[in-house]
Amino acid sequence: MRRTYLGEFEEIVLLMVAILDGEGYGVTVSQALEEHTGRIVTFGTVHNTLIRLEEKGFVSSYLGGATTERGGRRKRLFRVTALGSRALQEIQQLRQELWQMVPPNTLRLGGV
Amino acid sequence: MNRSPQPRNDRPPRFAHWLLTRLHPENTLEEVEGDLAELYDYWHHRAGRTQAILRYALNVLSVLPPFVRRRKQVKQQYEQPSSIHPVMIRNYLKIAFRNLQRNKGYTLINVAGLALSMTCGILIFTLVSHHLSYDNFHANADRMYRIVTEMHRDNIGYNHSVPSPLGKHFRDDYTFAEKVARIISADDQLITLRNGADIKKIKEEEGVAFTEPEFFDMFNFPLLEGDKKTALLEPNTAIMTERMAKKYFGDENPIGKTFWLNNRIVFRVTGILKDLPDNTDRKNEIFVSYPTLKAYDSWLANDIDGWGGIRDGVECYVQLRPGVSVAQVEGVMPAYVKKYRPTSKNVHHYKLQPLADIHFNAQYGGVMEKKNLWVLAIIGLFLLGTACVNFINLATAQALKRAKEVGVRKVLGGLKGQLFWQFISETGLITIVGVIVALGMAVLMLPVVNAFFHSQMTLNLFQNSRFVLFIVALGVAITFFAGSYPGLILAGFKPVVALKGKLSQQHIGGFNTRRTLIIAQFAISQVLIIGMLVIMYQMRYAKQADLGFDRAAIVMVPMGDDSTHTKMNTLRNELLRIKGVEKVSICYAAPASTNSWGNFVKVDNEETNFRTSIKSADDQYLSTFGLELAAGKNLFPADSAREFLVNETFLRKLNIKSPEAALGKLISANGGTMVAPIVGVVKDFHDASFHQEISPIILTTNKSDYSDYAIKLNVAQAKTTLAAIEKAWLEQHPDQLFAYQFVDESIAKFYETEDRILQLVEFFSLIAIFIGCLGLYGLMSFMAAQKTKEIGIRKVLGSSVSQILWIFGKEFSRLIGLAFLIAAPIAWWAMTNWLQGFQFHVQMEAWIFLAAIGSTLLIAALTIAYQATRAASVNPVKSLRSE
Repeated sequence: MRRTYLGEFEEIVLLMVAILDGEGYGVTVSQALEEHTGRIVTFGTVHNTLIRLEEKGFVSSYLGGATTERGGRRKRLFRVTALGSRALQEIQQLRQELWQMVPPNTLRLGGV
Repeated sequence: MNRSPQPRNDRPPRFAHWLLTRLHPENTLEEVEGDLAELYDYWHHRAGRTQAILRYALNVLSVLPPFVRRRKQVKQQYEQPSSIHPVMIRNYLKIAFRNLQRNKGYTLINVAGLALSMTCGILIFTLVSHHLSYDNFHANADRMYRIVTEMHRDNIGYNHSVPSPLGKHFRDDYTFAEKVARIISADDQLITLRNGADIKKIKEEEGVAFTEPEFFDMFNFPLLEGDKKTALLEPNTAIMTERMAKKYFGDENPIGKTFWLNNRIVFRVTGILKDLPDNTDRKNEIFVSYPTLKAYDSWLANDIDGWGGIRDGVECYVQLRPGVSVAQVEGVMPAYVKKYRPTSKNVHHYKLQPLADIHFNAQYGGVMEKKNLWVLAIIGLFLLGTACVNFINLATAQALKRAKEVGVRKVLGGLKGQLFWQFISETGLITIVGVIVALGMAVLMLPVVNAFFHSQMTLNLFQNSRFVLFIVALGVAITFFAGSYPGLILAGFKPVVALKGKLSQQHIGGFNTRRTLIIAQFAISQVLIIGMLVIMYQMRYAKQADLGFDRAAIVMVPMGDDSTHTKMNTLRNELLRIKGVEKVSICYAAPASTNSWGNFVKVDNEETNFRTSIKSADDQYLSTFGLELAAGKNLFPADSAREFLVNETFLRKLNIKSPEAALGKLISANGGTMVAPIVGVVKDFHDASFHQEISPIILTTNKSDYSDYAIKLNVAQAKTTLAAIEKAWLEQHPDQLFAYQFVDESIAKFYETEDRILQLVEFFSLIAIFIGCLGLYGLMSFMAAQKTKEIGIRKVLGSSVSQILWIFGKEFSRLIGLAFLIAAPIAWWAMTNWLQGFQFHVQMEAWIFLAAIGSTLLIAALTIAYQATRAASVNPVKSLRSE
């Protein structure tokens, strides 16, 4: 039994944080989201999801990296924690196992 | 960093940004603001300004409440000792005790102020809850009513009694009531116990009550011995409370014992009641059977004649069936008036008065109006409030002394909340001491309060849970009310400023609030002081002014019930023989008396239109009371009305100019049974209290009206003489009770209400002054602290101590002067109104006002003297060195 449930959007955002590898913060995550999945979501959604992921312990954050383009304001940068990466791996493994169990012909393109 | 401002057009919309900064949670504002700014640039770059603005606005909206998720506060990285950790609590208590010990005067004043107001609070609470609990312990009290009478004439009169047969008829005719009980009380009765020739006489002030047995079914007065169904069925049976049984029969078994009422009716005790509780309006403790009423007063006992009028003390209680409304019952009452009082002009309306209303409705003789209880409660709250405000004043004035402590605590990691609770607990300590002192004082004061309000309240901490709850609530409320403001101020000090010693009174503030408070407190004190002086002045005048007759050393002795003309003469001669008796007059009443017999007389066969008071008295009356004749001669000894004396007011009413002109005119009084000429005119004397005008009075020798012996004593041996008088009296009336009253004492009794008001006003002005002084003391401490440097500089520049004292003197004289300007008109108005209640009264004089302001100034000066002198005599080196 997994301790914490990871929603679909949360999983995607968590993956984005993993992809960005330490460079993930509000802006980059939403841009990556748009770029890789084509989904356009409000900033608030991303912001909330990141906070929720941190509360669940899947990411950790710290303030840092002030740049001129944001008027000297600091960014909150996110990193996947050990718990987060295990959760991602478990999900992937579970998917893998499930894929193995699908009979070969069922999902053939243009099936039936 | 190179921060060239962006071109105006490229900046995010200002309103959206403003909204973001105002509404977004503070702890994530910086990052979100940055992220959105970055995104705005990105959108601007990609899709142009309009798109960017729209998206920016939309995304700002998505991070505003309620959509945004709040980041929880990061947990403290280091361990935070809880503020209720035992070590901390010990520390708080230790510091609190040290502080209280170091500032003994301050502690004393605070405890005294709080204790005084809490004493008042506790006593007022006891009084109010005692009165609210009256007769609330009877089952079905909500369905119990007393039938009362409204008497409609020119105006409406209210009477708590009804015609005696009403209860019986109502019970027989209607089914509205489950129970009906009549109870007829006769107070001030003579009870005698006879054992052979041995007679024990007892005056029973509360008397006896003729009671129907159902009364004890309705009211929760349990019987300890006897059967309540049968105890009062037969004539000449009685039940009494345990207390009464002990009083009459001592430790003997009272059942079956007998006693006599007025030497006429004998009763046998058939039951013993448990002592009546204090909180009932039923005061008589001897209940006798209703059938005996016939022997006591046949008119009252008669079912038809009894409708003729209302005798005081005839009460009828009903307990209605569930669902029967008051209007239904009151609706059937007019039929009785039609049937039994068809010709009477005095139209009775019988109403139902709820049991819960009886104690509070003054119209029907209720003892304590609810209005007065609320006034008392408000006074109590006001006292507590002022005490708290004074406490706050003193505490904030002291706050600076503790700035360093607060600074150190904060530097060492103390949180604001912890400091706040520390100060609250200190206040709590003071409050607890105050509560204990207040409880002690309340217990000591209770007998005084009881005597004052004629009540028998008790304070029992361990039995009355409501009282305990009140005490706890009082303590907690006072602690928070008085402690939270100083606590917040102290806990809010900035550690750096506090440690540097740079805090000044400006950080505490509220100077004008304090001034206003002082003015209000002293205005109230001065109103009360002026009131007190006026009442005292008027009372002195009323009690000592020349009433036109002698009242010193004259004692009035009532005749016995069985007195006859022979006995009267014998006794008078006996009395005159006693050494120490100077004069004896037999009369109807003293010159000034609450007894007066009014009459409309005819003079020379012409009707008069004013009420004349007839005072029957013998020829010794004038000399005994030192009344003076203005014209004519004294009465001649006689047994009936042969001659009349009149007073000057009588002549004025008749428009007769000179006393001599009145002599010889014929007066016909008492419906023509007393017809005689005027033989003399007495000078006016006060025949009633100063509330009333002097009445027209006629004096005559009508023996059958005599009821008292007026005996003038030689003061030196009054005691032995009185004993001799009693002995002589008892020889004539062996089975009666001897009683006497000095004339000056009975005159003083005219002013009982005023005396009580005076006591109340004295008490409250004392408290108001005391509380005002506390406030003054607080303000003085505050000013002394605030002006330390100023005084130092002034002294360096050559001021003398007296000049510096005047700085304070000026301030306080101004405040008290302002208070006086408010108080004087209010007091003048109130007391002028009060004096209007007297026909003969003193004038509001300037000295009263001068005395009021003079005494407040003096008290204020005494209050501040010590601190002011200390502040003024501080060595300037000390006060200026700290910089």
